[in-house]
Amino acid sequence: MGNFRKTVIGLNLKNHLQAVIASLLAFIALFLPYVRLGGEKGVATNKSVVGVIAELIKGYTNIAKSNGDSFPWVYVFVFGSVVLTIIAVVFALVSVFKTNEKIMRVWQCFQTLALVFSGLLMFSTRAIMRTSGIAGNFLNKDLSFGYWILFIASFVALVLVMSVTKTNVGYIALSVLGVIWLFPILWIVLTAFRAEQGYYVGYFIPKGFTFDNFINLFTNNSVLPFARWWCNTLIVALCSCVINTLIVLMTSYVLSRTRFAGRKAFMNILMIIGMFPGFMSLIAVYNILKGIGLNQSLMALIVVGAAGAAMGYHVSKGFFDTIPKAIDEAAIIDGASRFQIFLNVTLPLSKSIIVYTVLGSFLGAWSDYIFPSMLFGDKQSSYTVAVGLYWLTDFKRIDTYYTQFAAGAVIVAVPIVVLFVWLQRFYVEGLSGSVKG
Amino acid sequence: MKAVNTNRNLITTFTKGDIFSKLSYVVLGLSNIKNGQVLKGLVFMALEAVYIAFMVMTGRHNLHMMRTLGENTQGMTYNEALGIYEVSKGDNSMLILLAGVVTLVITGFFIALWLFSIYSGEKARQMRALGKRPNTFIEDVKSLANENVHFLFLSVPVLGLSIFTVMPLIYMILMAFTNYDQDHQPPGNLFTWVGIKNFFTLLSTGDRLSATFWPVLGWTLIWGFAATFSCYFGGMILAMIINSKGIKYKKFWRTFFVITMAIPAFISLRVVATMLGERGIINVLLQQWGFTASALPFLSNVTWARVSVIVVNFWIGVPVTMLMVSGILMNIPAELYESAKIDGAGPVLAFLKITFPYMWFVTTPYLISNLIGNFNNFNVIYFLTAGQPLTLDYFKGAGKTDLLVTWLYKLTKDSNDYNLAATIGIIIFVISATFTLISFSRSNAMKNEEGFQ
Repeated sequence: MGNFRKTVIGLNLKNHLQAVIASLLAFIALFLPYVRLGGEKGVATNKSVVGVIAELIKGYTNIAKSNGDSFPWVYVFVFGSVVLTIIAVVFALVSVFKTNEKIMRVWQCFQTLALVFSGLLMFSTRAIMRTSGIAGNFLNKDLSFGYWILFIASFVALVLVMSVTKTNVGYIALSVLGVIWLFPILWIVLTAFRAEQGYYVGYFIPKGFTFDNFINLFTNNSVLPFARWWCNTLIVALCSCVINTLIVLMTSYVLSRTRFAGRKAFMNILMIIGMFPGFMSLIAVYNILKGIGLNQSLMALIVVGAAGAAMGYHVSKGFFDTIPKAIDEAAIIDGASRFQIFLNVTLPLSKSIIVYTVLGSFLGAWSDYIFPSMLFGDKQSSYTVAVGLYWLTDFKRIDTYYTQFAAGAVIVAVPIVVLFVWLQRFYVEGLSGSVKG
Repeated sequence: MKAVNTNRNLITTFTKGDIFSKLSYVVLGLSNIKNGQVLKGLVFMALEAVYIAFMVMTGRHNLHMMRTLGENTQGMTYNEALGIYEVSKGDNSMLILLAGVVTLVITGFFIALWLFSIYSGEKARQMRALGKRPNTFIEDVKSLANENVHFLFLSVPVLGLSIFTVMPLIYMILMAFTNYDQDHQPPGNLFTWVGIKNFFTLLSTGDRLSATFWPVLGWTLIWGFAATFSCYFGGMILAMIINSKGIKYKKFWRTFFVITMAIPAFISLRVVATMLGERGIINVLLQQWGFTASALPFLSNVTWARVSVIVVNFWIGVPVTMLMVSGILMNIPAELYESAKIDGAGPVLAFLKITFPYMWFVTTPYLISNLIGNFNNFNVIYFLTAGQPLTLDYFKGAGKTDLLVTWLYKLTKDSNDYNLAATIGIIIFVISATFTLISFSRSNAMKNEEGFQ
């Protein structure tokens, strides 16, 4: 046991002893009370994990004898946590006598798995109890202190091992957060491929997979003209990303690179306008559009979007401000006009902000809901995807169309996510520009 | 420049000018014509003529009608020739108000033209006085691509903003001083000016409306602060974890979280809303996993719903802050951390004494604009709960998670109480303006501090 004081290159042995103790504690917890049964009847009996396993094996052999049933998959969690905790503690003990980096890494790996499985045990205990027939209405509040010791000791052991191997503990947090963050996304993707229709299903992973939801979206045109909605949105998005980008870039160029009377006043007016909630005046916009004969048309969406585009000049102005003035001055000496400078000098230097603006206005068109919904009312053929998909999740329709809604959501989201992830760099540059400015 | 006859302002141009300058205050462009810019002067004159013609033909009438917003209610009159009752067309207050606003905006443009023509005439005169040749019309047009590029580039935005933002805004602001509610809907009924009565009903106590307004305002403020700061700190911590030493594949982790942000908000919010329903997957799983025996009222109980929207907003908002903060974190000088480490500061102390003050300093303006954005965060509330759970304590339509903006939207869309919606809009403006002013004074104070040391 003299190894605790030794120094090994690449390892930080300060926490070695504590890690081994935590791992041992997790092992001991396997024999401490895991579930409290029959609590509602007054006479509670406690069972340890090992005890439960013994019962499961006994029960399973009985069932298997009678009907040759397949092995219930939930049992994996309880077996897994026992086996992995034991392997982890074995490696913990080995590491005491043979302290090197390789052993530590293996121990860390098994300790991680042990923690994952004992964590999952929390989610599966009820199912295990029901399947095996040990307790019908088990709830997690009946988990006994043995389980919590197992869970916490595994966790502490993992953290300590990671500190020994100089691994960043942040991985644990990132993994947990990552699962939480992706959970809804996973759900909607699974739903999009689900064969069973309907909103309410009592399980997470679909029983059957199919492409029908996607096919229905594009073939079932009389009820659900999704292809139409999608095209509408694409038209609006393409038009407005060209027009809006031009307007935004021109406005911010003028406000950033030139000085003229009323420039400050213009920016202040824009700021004041921006402080009113935008859709407060939608009803008036609607009447004006009606006056010029544009109501209920896609054109109206493009026009109104372009009209307000200048309000978003801040980010690109912040960017233009960072381009040295000397470049402009050199170009002026060479006889270039302001317009030529804009076209031939400033724009080529501003690739990232152009991408940012294009991306922003393209995405904006896909997610804009309020104005299109007010503009189109019940004229379904003009809907954009945002209005259409919202309409599908109305409580009257949600049961019939939930899987189609999910498929539609996936179709809309996938290209955008790909685009976004691909062009993320520009977005970050734009965002940090907005903070600087 | 020589001191002779230069630098005249609007008044001195008139008092010191010759007869043409003086006359050009009434007949636009006269001074330009006299000083050699004939075409330009004629354009000014033509535009003035168009404006006068417009005012005589309809503008005057429009402004006159705005005083009362219409007097003849639509009704049935007996047509003796045909022997039947027929609908007599009455005044439509809404269209009258709109026409009036249009006239006002056109007048605003005319005033701008008037100022511009005087300025332009005076400039031509000055050039003459200095012995130079004033620009020809062609040269003026050419200058649009050069020193006057702002006229070229800003013309479209100004026109667009005037028609689709400023004009509607004036219209709605005026509406706050009328009684255009459910009971006064044109064309059947007229509405008229009521002064600041709407503000009184909304802000004073005792009325049912004010009993809705104050709690909704309270929740709006709570929501704004909770949503902003939870995402701010969450994003900061996440960014620090991802950027800390020893985390490999930083880009992968970042992308992982960015996915939630890239999905259009209406999709992710509707998805989460369906997941949180009474029969939604989250309740199903919680019961299956044995965490609860019965469905949890995520969106149907007041407190649960309020916490739910904040949590879901956290889910959406953290990646945005994370991305933004990542860039700033890299700008913090590494020496600061090293010297702190030598002085024996742990990670917590380093965060409290270095990271946080630096971030706070750089991001205060962002934080305040974010706060204002959250007060007006229509999407999260509307897509997630649509303001529900509803309550009988509130004025029709408003629910317990409604923000001022979503309530405003409901008032325009569902119950057509435009006057109340407009009043709320103005109140929101006042709140936003207050916070913006605070932000300005803060950032000015910071500029004087000569940066973070």
